[in-house]
Amino acid sequence: MTVTEPDTEAVPPRQSLATDAARNLATTTKSVPQMQGISPRWLLRVLPWVQAEGGAFRVNRRLTYTVGDGRVTCVNTGSAVSLIPAELAEFGPLRDFRNEAVLGALAERFVQRAYEPGDVIAEFGHEIDQIVVIAHGKARKIGTGEYGDDTVLDVLGGGRFFGDSLLLDQQGIWDYTVKAVTPCTVLSLPKQAAQQVIDTSGELGGHLEEVRGRARPAHNKQGEANIELSSGHNGEITLPGTFVDYETSPREYELAAAQTVLRIHTRVADLYNNPMNQLEQQLRLTIEALRERQENDLVNNREFGLLHNADLGQRLHTRTGPPTPDDLDELLSRRRKSEYFLAHPLAIAAFGRECTSRGLYPEPVPVQGGVAAAWRGVPILPCDKIPVSATGTSSIIVMRTGMEDNGVIGLHQTGIPDEYRPGLSVRFMNIDEKAIMSYLVSAYYSAAILVPDAVGVLESVEIGR
Amino acid sequence: MTVTEPDLGSGEQQPQSLGTAAARNLATTTKSEPQMQGISSRWLLKMLPWVQAAGGTYRVNRRLTCTVGNGRVSFTNEGARVKVVPPELREFAALRELPDTTVLDAMAEDFVQREYGPGEVIAEFGDSIDEIVLVAHGKVNKIGPGEYGEHVVLGTLADGDYVGDELLTDPESLWEYTTKTVTSCTALVLPASSFTALLERAPALRAHIDRLGSGQEAAANMHGEADVEVISGHSGEIRIAGTYVDYEPSPREYELSVAQTVLRVHTRVADLYNQPMNQLDQQLRLTIEALRERQEHELINNRDFGLLHNADLAQRTPTRTGPPTPDDFDQLLAMVWKEPGLFLAHPRTIAAFGRECSRRGIYPSSVDVGGHRIPAWRGVPIFPCNKIPVSDTRTSSVLLMRTGEDNQGVVGLHQTGIPDEYRPGLSVRFMGVNETAISSYLVSAYYSAAVLVPDALAVLEGAEVGKES
Repeated sequence: MTVTEPDTEAVPPRQSLATDAARNLATTTKSVPQMQGISPRWLLRVLPWVQAEGGAFRVNRRLTYTVGDGRVTCVNTGSAVSLIPAELAEFGPLRDFRNEAVLGALAERFVQRAYEPGDVIAEFGHEIDQIVVIAHGKARKIGTGEYGDDTVLDVLGGGRFFGDSLLLDQQGIWDYTVKAVTPCTVLSLPKQAAQQVIDTSGELGGHLEEVRGRARPAHNKQGEANIELSSGHNGEITLPGTFVDYETSPREYELAAAQTVLRIHTRVADLYNNPMNQLEQQLRLTIEALRERQENDLVNNREFGLLHNADLGQRLHTRTGPPTPDDLDELLSRRRKSEYFLAHPLAIAAFGRECTSRGLYPEPVPVQGGVAAAWRGVPILPCDKIPVSATGTSSIIVMRTGMEDNGVIGLHQTGIPDEYRPGLSVRFMNIDEKAIMSYLVSAYYSAAILVPDAVGVLESVEIGR
Repeated sequence: MTVTEPDLGSGEQQPQSLGTAAARNLATTTKSEPQMQGISSRWLLKMLPWVQAAGGTYRVNRRLTCTVGNGRVSFTNEGARVKVVPPELREFAALRELPDTTVLDAMAEDFVQREYGPGEVIAEFGDSIDEIVLVAHGKVNKIGPGEYGEHVVLGTLADGDYVGDELLTDPESLWEYTTKTVTSCTALVLPASSFTALLERAPALRAHIDRLGSGQEAAANMHGEADVEVISGHSGEIRIAGTYVDYEPSPREYELSVAQTVLRVHTRVADLYNQPMNQLDQQLRLTIEALRERQEHELINNRDFGLLHNADLAQRTPTRTGPPTPDDFDQLLAMVWKEPGLFLAHPRTIAAFGRECSRRGIYPSSVDVGGHRIPAWRGVPIFPCNKIPVSDTRTSSVLLMRTGEDNQGVVGLHQTGIPDEYRPGLSVRFMGVNETAISSYLVSAYYSAAVLVPDALAVLEGAEVGKES
């Protein structure tokens, strides 16, 4: 049996009404306005939202003695790289040192060096003769294993530094080897130059002397003040008395706002409402845009965005470049109860390629009615708000969520006046002389990381192939 | 115990009981319904959510999009000589609104044909752009510098793609990537010198290009939609920008398409030969099967609304090497990353994909869809569909789509409640009995399909299904 399409050539004169004409009488079924910018917004879906009464949320933590291993920011002028003097305060020994002039003198004496992949920047067992700041590139910190073989201790990326103990102890030796993985640009402060500055500035010398003498209070491996306990004892020994100290100035998160004024002409809102309410549709799309912005802020905001708020100790660099199963394993090993990965769709594709090239097929897992790619049973949720650099690098976030698990929580406040959705209000403002109505649409939100290890970030993930 | 065969040598024996041939005269024959090879599982029709298009037309309203215009150009060839179709040059963003076709004709004449072998560099990163390159046939990789100075593939160009059109507006611009051929390629090249000469000859073109530089670009998000101004992260009493969401002024309308046939049954057949099966019912059943097959074929191949033709150009990607590899499927998933619903591929393509998986030592688990085990990739089922064309050179396409009206996916359109409805969206209408006693029935199915937003559908093109490994 064949079904033929009608022959379109040599059309005889019409004998009945054409569809074009008939359409003038018929109604058209209309879709609601579609918007390409709407994404699944997984982050907003999986974060538990906690009510922040009073607009602020205080995260109380145990007292922590910070060691101060931050990152140093470098600035590029052409191919020359230099240090911002104030950033030198990230070096442990210089933590509370505020003399800009002396820091400036130190910063000036850094020399720029370039290393090729495989070059050794510092060698195990040799005397520490320089402070090294990695301006750009990736290097591996290699230690000696139990049986004399090499073990990778860490991957150092841009902004990391080592050898700063030189300031306190002139006779120290490297207890690891640092080897460049990619072409590296480093800034190095030779021992003599450091000594010169210390000799000329009595203030710096005095500060270092004081730091040397300062004893760090007892603390656990996270840097929290110790809770004294006694165990495994016999007899009538005196039990230690203790108390749990809190941070005296804990961090407070204030709710941030995303706002816009939606304008609609009264004539449009009054008349053109069948079958769809014009105001409702305008509001719906505006709210979608606000929610997209909200997710963007939760990832990228400099104050509370996960990428910026993640603890420096929880940021890893990829071992080689692309996101490999090894890197994700490393991320998972840094926290208990990892619940979700969050990655750019292109980073997920890059991870898929790495798995495939190793002959692995990680089982996808169901997440809230959908299916997501997963690694070790932890779903990898796509999020296009995670930035991808011009050179094709991105980040992968892993997190634990919820108040009970000391994880990441979203903050909002419900019950605000003129509430339209939880934590989002639509308020009628006025009608101006041009008969345009204005509505103020505001969303209030923030996100808090309860303890630092709740969020980990894998950085410099190369997504190109 | 021994079973002996009857001795055949001793002549015909008299039958002692009734033979089967005679017995059949008394018995009824159990009959199958008429079978048809053309029936396929038609997964697309089953999986698409069907939306009621009352009034016969469905309008897809979208947010206003400020199109940048990066289409594909097409070519004609006479023997080995390839020429670009002049009006197609309007796909260059700079020439989008150029009214004068004679200039385009002249420009098309200036293109020079070049052949490249695999692995050859067409343009080097950092050199000044001195030509516009159209890829007429073949595959070209765009390679850029990575974070640490290594080479990164930014994308793959295939037939109809072009690079270097920045030359039109800015003669001083530099290549921001290296273009290197993957397969042997035929390219059409417009050298900068020819273009400058053309500018001298055609003042209309020069005026048009000069006008472009002064134009203001409208604020748009990364999908090209006109911006909704939102401010966030502010404090204090700053002025909040007013905004509204603009819609496309002339949205696309999908009219229901029709597949029809006239089924003829002789009244004598329809009246008498109805035991045990109704002749008309069987005729209708097979006709409807054929109509439904045609319907699925149209949903994929129709030039107006078929998914293969309706997919956005930015949502089409060629395979990286040739056969459909897991990496290509991952790439598709990165393009439809918002809740992907299903893959659709020709059975041969699925087999080719299976080979590629096996070669890499991976075994993707299958998923359960309504009681059927369906092969899947990353949890997204891969449905077979034999309506996707396989070319003479054994290349085919793979579709990945998100479905449903609520999540702005792909929807099927039909209208239920039509007169003489026999199945949803399908009517059987009695036409009459003619003088030769033949009764006629008009069987019509009305359908269409709409892609609500472009990123709901992605197509992997040029998947080689018969590649020797």
